[in-house]
Amino acid sequence: MSARRPVFNQSVLTDSTPLPKEIPAVEELGASSAPLLSASFFIGARCKDYNDDFMQCKTEKPGRAEFDCLKEGRRVTRCAKSVIEDVNKHCLTEFRKHWQCLDDNNQQLWQCRPAEWKLNKCVFDNLKLEKVIPDSPKGEIPVHLRPHQKYAHRGP
Amino acid sequence: MPQDLPPAGGYGPVQYKRNLPARGFRPAVLLTGMVGIMTFGFYKLGGGIREHNELAREKMWSRIYITPLLTAEEDRDLVRRHYADLAREKELLGTQTSAYNSDRYVRPTFAVTPSKILK
Repeated sequence: MSARRPVFNQSVLTDSTPLPKEIPAVEELGASSAPLLSASFFIGARCKDYNDDFMQCKTEKPGRAEFDCLKEGRRVTRCAKSVIEDVNKHCLTEFRKHWQCLDDNNQQLWQCRPAEWKLNKCVFDNLKLEKVIPDSPKGEIPVHLRPHQKYAHRGP
Repeated sequence: MPQDLPPAGGYGPVQYKRNLPARGFRPAVLLTGMVGIMTFGFYKLGGGIREHNELAREKMWSRIYITPLLTAEEDRDLVRRHYADLAREKELLGTQTSAYNSDRYVRPTFAVTPSKILK
């Protein structure tokens, strides 16, 4: 991701040749950064195995991972898409509220806790996906559940 | 003739010390107050740093969870462009030659621009 991408700004110079027929097509996710950030922990909760598979494949095949891990990559994308679709189906209003709040607040998660709590509750009730931050210290309230957010400009 | 002599009982004391009023609290009180205020400040700072660490952890994990997804999408795009390049080369030159002496995929540095724009 760090390398310079062979893309020009002019749309007419973008290579639009589709993938060859023998590689199965997969619908891309099509979500922008704020919805992805908002749904990231749910994606992580449901798709952890697929994600780990993909990253393991990438690690084990240095130099050829772009070609040899396409299958795992399609699984990752399909799984993430299923999460986004489920969230859209069950919690559309809460989801929208949260990611629009993130968009309005420089994508700082701590500015949008009330919207996030509503979204987390709805997602947990409907999809049984819970937001858990790994490796957070034991015996403390996880930072996304603290009623007072020290860095929030307004409110909790 | 009587001489000038000090008055009986001597002169009164001469005031040579400055007589400034000692305003404000005692130094011990001031020092204690300063230590208290600074302790409180460092306590609040520590709390803020801890919360900041947790927020950074949250942000990092949110990125970790969507990294495979972004990588997969980008890989598909790169593969698509790579095959398009190979096809273009085949069409133009009739051969497929790699510029590198290995099978590894190398991210293209240069992109071919069309000589005439179709659209």
